[in-house]
Amino acid sequence: MGLVFVRCEAVVQRRGLPGRRAVSADLFRRGGRFILQPRLNSSVLGGDSWLSIVVKRGKTSRWCSDADIAIRSTTSKGKRMAEQFYTVASDSETTGEDKSQLSFPDVAIGIDIGTSKCSVAIWNGHQVELLKNTRNQKGMRSYVMFKDDTLSAGVTGGAAQESAHEERDILSGSAIFNMKRLIGRMDTDEVVQASKTLPFLVQTLGIGVRPFIAALVNNMWRSTTPEEVLAIFLLELKALVEMHLKHPVRNAVLTIPVAFSRFQQTRIERAFAMAGLHVLRLMPEPTAVALLYAQQQQQLMHDNMGSGIEKIALIFNMGAGYSDAAVAATAGGVSQIRALSGCTVGGEDILQNIMRHVLPNFDSLYDGHTVDRIKSMGLLRIATQDAIHKLANQESVDINIDLGNGQKVSKVLDHSEFEQVNRAIFEKCEKIIIQCLVDAKLEPEDINDVILVGGCSKIPRIRSLVLGLCKKEVSYKNIDALEAAVSGAAMEGAIASGVTDPSGSLDLLTIQATPMNLGIRADGNNFAAIIPRNTTVPARRDMLFTTTHDNQTEALIAVYEGEGEQAEDNHLLGYFKIAGIPPAPKGSVEISVCMDIDASNVLRVFAGVVKPQGPAIPPFIEVRMPTLDDGHGWCGQALAKMYGKTIDLAVLPKKLQP
Amino acid sequence: MISPRPALSPGFLAFRPAGSPAASPPPSPRPHAPPPLSASFSSSAAVTAAPDHTAASSSFYDVLGLRPGASAREIKAAYRRLALAVHPDAAPHPSAEDFIRVHAAYSTLSDPDKRADYDRRLLLSAAVGRRRAHPVSLGRSPSFPARRSRRTWETDQCW
Repeated sequence: MGLVFVRCEAVVQRRGLPGRRAVSADLFRRGGRFILQPRLNSSVLGGDSWLSIVVKRGKTSRWCSDADIAIRSTTSKGKRMAEQFYTVASDSETTGEDKSQLSFPDVAIGIDIGTSKCSVAIWNGHQVELLKNTRNQKGMRSYVMFKDDTLSAGVTGGAAQESAHEERDILSGSAIFNMKRLIGRMDTDEVVQASKTLPFLVQTLGIGVRPFIAALVNNMWRSTTPEEVLAIFLLELKALVEMHLKHPVRNAVLTIPVAFSRFQQTRIERAFAMAGLHVLRLMPEPTAVALLYAQQQQQLMHDNMGSGIEKIALIFNMGAGYSDAAVAATAGGVSQIRALSGCTVGGEDILQNIMRHVLPNFDSLYDGHTVDRIKSMGLLRIATQDAIHKLANQESVDINIDLGNGQKVSKVLDHSEFEQVNRAIFEKCEKIIIQCLVDAKLEPEDINDVILVGGCSKIPRIRSLVLGLCKKEVSYKNIDALEAAVSGAAMEGAIASGVTDPSGSLDLLTIQATPMNLGIRADGNNFAAIIPRNTTVPARRDMLFTTTHDNQTEALIAVYEGEGEQAEDNHLLGYFKIAGIPPAPKGSVEISVCMDIDASNVLRVFAGVVKPQGPAIPPFIEVRMPTLDDGHGWCGQALAKMYGKTIDLAVLPKKLQP
Repeated sequence: MISPRPALSPGFLAFRPAGSPAASPPPSPRPHAPPPLSASFSSSAAVTAAPDHTAASSSFYDVLGLRPGASAREIKAAYRRLALAVHPDAAPHPSAEDFIRVHAAYSTLSDPDKRADYDRRLLLSAAVGRRRAHPVSLGRSPSFPARRSRRTWETDQCW
């Protein structure tokens, strides 16, 4: 299907609103049709209807009406017109209004964006179906290739024969990948720091701003952002699904790592919006697997609900970028998430550890990002990846590779060495599993099934580690390690879209829990958790705070998310000030801070003075979080610098609460 | 770490009044309007919310549609059945309020310790009601199944 991506200018007018605006847009060619997509950052959200669009390219400008947008390429006298003559004829028979009334079932699709691979699944009316790309792959490599003014993403992998991308091309510096690790992270983040050894450019200043990311195009570094790369990728993915379904797709259920912060979630939703997709639900990956498990269990034991027998599953998911663990209690198609935990270790870390191990001067070698060095870095990456895959099935593996420039690697790697080198990673995996069991208040004996998913679940050490902690001999068999998460997401998509199945196979429910503590800064720099992790959502909790100074009239509510005891060890989500507190001795005022998470996982924070009461008290404040966009690494420090402790809060000791 | 604060509140007021602003739920946190659900929203409420005289008409058992002696299995089954009926993801007329209430009931009744606490207080409040007619206190009866492993201050102040 070969998507070609051309930047152009479009003038848009929103239906029902006066005035025209120029936005930049991308024109895709898909088969014989053109698709116009407003460009990123053009404050245009996909899925909107537009009254008119002018596509300008070169000296030509043409009008088109209706913009959802099917633009036909026209032929003139049987001859194809020159590339810049995009005749922008609308699908005249369908205005935007008609389109919205077209009777296609608007069922959300399931998307699993992996650090390394991505897959998409739909509910086809009877069951979940994973879609394949033109190369017949269900797991599509997650990357976007930048070439001149053509961009192509890993969905098609340069489907046209002449442009098919091999792993070598992907590692040439021209492709951006690992978006899921980079998105929504600041340049002080250790994950971003570790990404500097990737073939494309990740530049950091170490000051808490977003990193500079660039792809090599014609021997120049061209800058981009993880959101932009992801959006381009999603556009191709969306096109693939629409080709298959033959109707537009608007909604998606996306699986995300447990360790994703709310800030990262907003960035990924932004990328989806840029691609014209609305994120109906964000599901932590193991919970999507839990849903699939719940369905399988329900089919096994039809009438189980009345008896209330639950089956407890421990789900461990390890992909290229993240590891997650979850404990789910399932009965009667209802899967209750008892505990969640996750961390940022994955196959990428294993790969980097092994690369450093076989080539000790790895870091210094790849400092400059010259073309030569990128090339040898790519060769090493491919060879190491191969070796790790082989090691899953054999005792030891030879790594023999000529990196050019006189650099050669020749090494035999066996299991014990592999495990030694990656010991820290395995320890982190153990930690999240143990934390999950403790949080769920379960002993290993309580676990009925251990479900291992994700690409790294094939690593023997990972399998033995998880099974060992759960005191099990074998893992659950009926789940495909690479397809489970996306299948669960597609099922959730169908359920959340209101699809019912006569056979009852969609009478399912996942009761989610919060993966991280949510709270505010109080008692100096401490973190007071208002909604502790593993609280069932929808949830609403409140807590009382008081002033720390006499006659304090203002109080700062700084909202954080995370596991650290100190506020600054956590992610700052946003902040606001309560003003107009009546003057009173310190500790006598009561300020209520309430946090509310709805079923769509939206977090709202309510705060206000509850004591003393009276007409002089200012109204409560409601803030939807996160409010911070970029540079949130700075905000905490800036607040501290500006206000010091003058508008701090303290937790009101429980015993003194009325 | 915890800032000292003068003891303002009389120790016997174990429970926030139903209209307590602190328990007032969003989306309209009006300090003076009583919330539709009682104080069971505060972070400790699942443990400590009491079947006081106002809530007695809707005990956690009533919320789950069970009798007080229900087995753990019945509680789990009832929770799941209700979750399918009221959870915003599953219900045709979703209500986060209802689900939060069902879950609060379940989280207390599914934990043996919390349930024992709750049962005890439920009995006590029933006894208080009955005492007006028959002055017999069950609360300190030696036969009362006092299965409590954890004492919380609010609970202690109930007695």
